[in-house]
Amino acid sequence: MTILTKSFEIFCGTGGVGKTTLATSRALSQASSGLRVLLITIDPAKRLKDLLKLTGDSVGEVTPVEVSNIKLDALLMSPEKTIQRMALKYHTPDLASNRIVKILSRPYGGMNEILSLVEVQMQFDSGKYDVIVLDTPPGAHFLDFLEGIGKIQSFFDQSFVELFTYLGSKTVNAGKKFGFGIINRVISGGLRKLLGYLQKVTDAKFIEDFIIAVQIIYKSKEAFLKGLSLQERLKSKSECNWFLVTSVEQGKAQEALEMKQHAKSFMHQDHFLVLNKCLEQEMSDWNPVDVKLQAIKTSLDSREKELKIILKQSFPVVLEFPEIMSLEPIEHVINLTHKWKTYVI
Amino acid sequence: MTTQPRRLYIFTGKGGVGKTTLSKAFVRYLVEHDHEAVYLTFKNQSLSETHKDSNSETTVDGIREISLDLEESARTYIERRLSSKMIAGWIVKTPFFRALINMVPGFNYLIYLGRVLEYGKNNPRMIVVLDAPASGHALTMVESTTNFQNIFESGIIFDDTRKMLSRLNDPNYTKIHVVSLPSQMSWQEAIELKSGLKERTPVDVHITVNNCLYPLVEQNLKDLPSGLREKALNEKRIIEEHQSEMQCILPHSLGINSKTVELDLVGSLSKLI
Repeated sequence: MTILTKSFEIFCGTGGVGKTTLATSRALSQASSGLRVLLITIDPAKRLKDLLKLTGDSVGEVTPVEVSNIKLDALLMSPEKTIQRMALKYHTPDLASNRIVKILSRPYGGMNEILSLVEVQMQFDSGKYDVIVLDTPPGAHFLDFLEGIGKIQSFFDQSFVELFTYLGSKTVNAGKKFGFGIINRVISGGLRKLLGYLQKVTDAKFIEDFIIAVQIIYKSKEAFLKGLSLQERLKSKSECNWFLVTSVEQGKAQEALEMKQHAKSFMHQDHFLVLNKCLEQEMSDWNPVDVKLQAIKTSLDSREKELKIILKQSFPVVLEFPEIMSLEPIEHVINLTHKWKTYVI
Repeated sequence: MTTQPRRLYIFTGKGGVGKTTLSKAFVRYLVEHDHEAVYLTFKNQSLSETHKDSNSETTVDGIREISLDLEESARTYIERRLSSKMIAGWIVKTPFFRALINMVPGFNYLIYLGRVLEYGKNNPRMIVVLDAPASGHALTMVESTTNFQNIFESGIIFDDTRKMLSRLNDPNYTKIHVVSLPSQMSWQEAIELKSGLKERTPVDVHITVNNCLYPLVEQNLKDLPSGLREKALNEKRIIEEHQSEMQCILPHSLGINSKTVELDLVGSLSKLI
């Protein structure tokens, strides 16, 4: 089994499956063969920070790290820092200072995924890396991240058309640009009514502030839309490897299948299912005599077997990684780094 | 039964620790002890552009399980506030409103939590068991009500949020269970989550350690294959070191799938009340 090196590698999966550990080990295994690697994590639980022993002030900054003599760069996403970089790069200082934009770009705000895409694009543009490995956030729905792309699109396509037609002359030329004539008036009438209703529930000041924030974001639309072009890259077999991660411990075959179903429109068919924390090897030579131990073996074995049958029916390639029994998280990473190498010829 | 149960139990923790199985088992436990209880979970985190969805409710062997849909919850809220089903239906469909909900942090949870509290308000005997999102998101959820005091400075949502806060933060009403596994990483995360939650709410936050192999094999350690033995010994170390902070330790279930595991757990949950 060979896994070719591509410009982007994306790790998706629900929480607790070992996504960050696997992504880190993958990045290390690539870096050890001489590639220039950037590892980005969007994980709000900050596992990577603990794993690589990064300090608080490295959050949001590209930081060189070294694990068992292997060097790579790591970046813990901080939406706030990304916004600041965008404001600098695109000369839009308002973006970094607006109250509502600040709220929207809090670690759990809705701009998080969008900003991650923009960040990946900016790092790629820097030309400093052969590979960017991306550890996506877990989320009850792991595809929240991928839907970030759709969010950018609909945000710029729809909300803005509505808003700017409504604001009309208040905004320079924006209304003209979308010139819809009669429809224009219907939409703007609708939006006026909508804002009226919303003001009843929220308050007038918030809606005003939100609209100002949206205008500021719009001024930086070039940067956001560049994030969109990433989508095509990620869909391309030659540019991106997709790793969908699940673990035996969780035994959520159903979820893995849903994951595949939902991810269809985002990724290409050439993807990998990574099954982490397999016990099979460990258990194969174990033949307990004790009845209770037999029951334990049966329960562990049957859950793992069932899962593998379902996964192998549904995914083109299933990569198995063993459960690593050690207390130190970094030892897990080093161990898995070796395992990755067996997949690269 | 000696202890009077709370009205809202929130189960949270790192992904994959068994929150769903545990919260369903807990509903079953409550029902078996003559309480009215319902299992609630959130179907989606944002308003989807593509799929249309609604709340789905199923009853499995007498246990009510409801999966709340964000759009439906938002519509219901606006409908009540503006007294019009038609207007509410139209508002939630507009792209501007979708952008607002999807982008303002915690807005989704605010809407969901409002809906969750409704279940308790409409029936004073009802106990709600909420299978809440994983760690990081759980903090957002608890924080969302407070955040909104900053975002909206006045208005109906502001007032409603205040009312919600008073219930959510009432120790007689709400209790939070952080679920963990007996591994170093999971434990670390559970402790961090607990302290994060304690900073934000005065209600009880208890840690349950799920799926412990050690209690089952204590007497047979020498008969285990080396890896499993090491796993069991790691668990032993963590359990012994932190036992005082663990309100409930649940042994590994011998069930062979999630349904049998759930049924197996029901008998061990009295401490969660």
